[in-house]
Amino acid sequence: MTYKLYKTLNEKDAAYTINADGSTTSFTFDPANTDYQAYLKWVSEGNTPEQAD
Amino acid sequence: MTMTISGSSGLIFPDGSGQETGIGRNRIINGDMRIDQRSAGTSVSTSSTGTQTYASLDRWAYIVSQASKFTIQQNAGSVTPPTGFTNYLGITSLSSYTVGTSDYFNVNQIIEGFNIADLGWGTANAKTITISFWVRSSLTGTFGGSLRNSAIDRSYPFSYTISAANTWEQKSITVAGDTTGTWLTNNGHGIQLAFSLGMGSTYSATANAWAGGNYVSATGATSVVGTNGATFYITGVQLEIGSTATPFERRMYGQELALCQRYLPATSSIGGGGEQGGQVLWISSTTGWGTFIPIVQPRVVPTGFTGTASEITVRASASSNTVTSAVSFAGAGLSQFLFNVTIGAAAGAANASGFWYLNTAGAKILWTGCEI
Repeated sequence: MTYKLYKTLNEKDAAYTINADGSTTSFTFDPANTDYQAYLKWVSEGNTPEQAD
Repeated sequence: MTMTISGSSGLIFPDGSGQETGIGRNRIINGDMRIDQRSAGTSVSTSSTGTQTYASLDRWAYIVSQASKFTIQQNAGSVTPPTGFTNYLGITSLSSYTVGTSDYFNVNQIIEGFNIADLGWGTANAKTITISFWVRSSLTGTFGGSLRNSAIDRSYPFSYTISAANTWEQKSITVAGDTTGTWLTNNGHGIQLAFSLGMGSTYSATANAWAGGNYVSATGATSVVGTNGATFYITGVQLEIGSTATPFERRMYGQELALCQRYLPATSSIGGGGEQGGQVLWISSTTGWGTFIPIVQPRVVPTGFTGTASEITVRASASSNTVTSAVSFAGAGLSQFLFNVTIGAAAGAANASGFWYLNTAGAKILWTGCEI
């Protein structure tokens, strides 16, 4: 599992990941978004996301 | 038995307690576990730790300190639900885990503040509520749960007893409203109702009393995660004003789905695929924004999107249909959401419009970040 960074339409920081079932989960860096919270935990475990294109 | 109907207080029981009647008395959404937009009845492992996680039935979350100790699934085990119900939330323990002092495992629902504002909690006029539900477990004994506020500095741990294994039993718990603490009455966290599946002593306290602190269960309650293969099924969950449990409030399926979509805007293909989803606004020959207009205004603006690129077909003006190669959240307001669409071969034309649709039966897109 890994994440890739990107910017939204309004230039907000965001990331996406491809799930095991082939779906994509994407989210902005909003503290209230639980997918973002999971991302932060993943980063805190020493992982590094791919940079935006 | 004599009951009084009062214009100001509703139904009054012989003991003087009141019972509000009519539509909307159940503050729990999807209490009969019919709606499962995320997983459509598939089993979900509880792999995320430390955060409120929505992965299975609408409005019901789990939060755990240890990963993958149980699964959640609508109608797990395929037992016959209680009479009058077709669905239940099913927990299956995956191991015999000894709960540590600071461990926590629960399923819960956070009721939006707007929907509990009339309870008057945190004031001298706090109203009594009653929680009722049907529960069935392979285990017997005393089980626990709690009510908590958003600051998790007010808790009401409760307990109930399951007397017979693998048998549906209906439980009710009456709670005098909390006259202290802060209970939000806006679109934030109003009341969290939690059912414990295993709780360390740090988060356990004396049952059936308000406590200042973060307590999720009653001291000494049974640990479901402590027995490999143990099951815990629940449905018909209701939280209502008054000191008596009334029959479960039946809502039309469409009503319940709409209530759920305030917290999880979504759409899915219920046919063979091909139902039009929305417009695509092309910004180049290979990239565009797919638009989605929600049927229900969400609680807050979505901040995420989940979809499967290969299940989304796009069409540009005067070109053939093309399966999408990538999708991601692009932006949102309360009344329209956008997702990024990328296709492998040029098909669109900048500033042109087309449309998108889900091309597979069962395909879905979800907009996240609206849950509490």
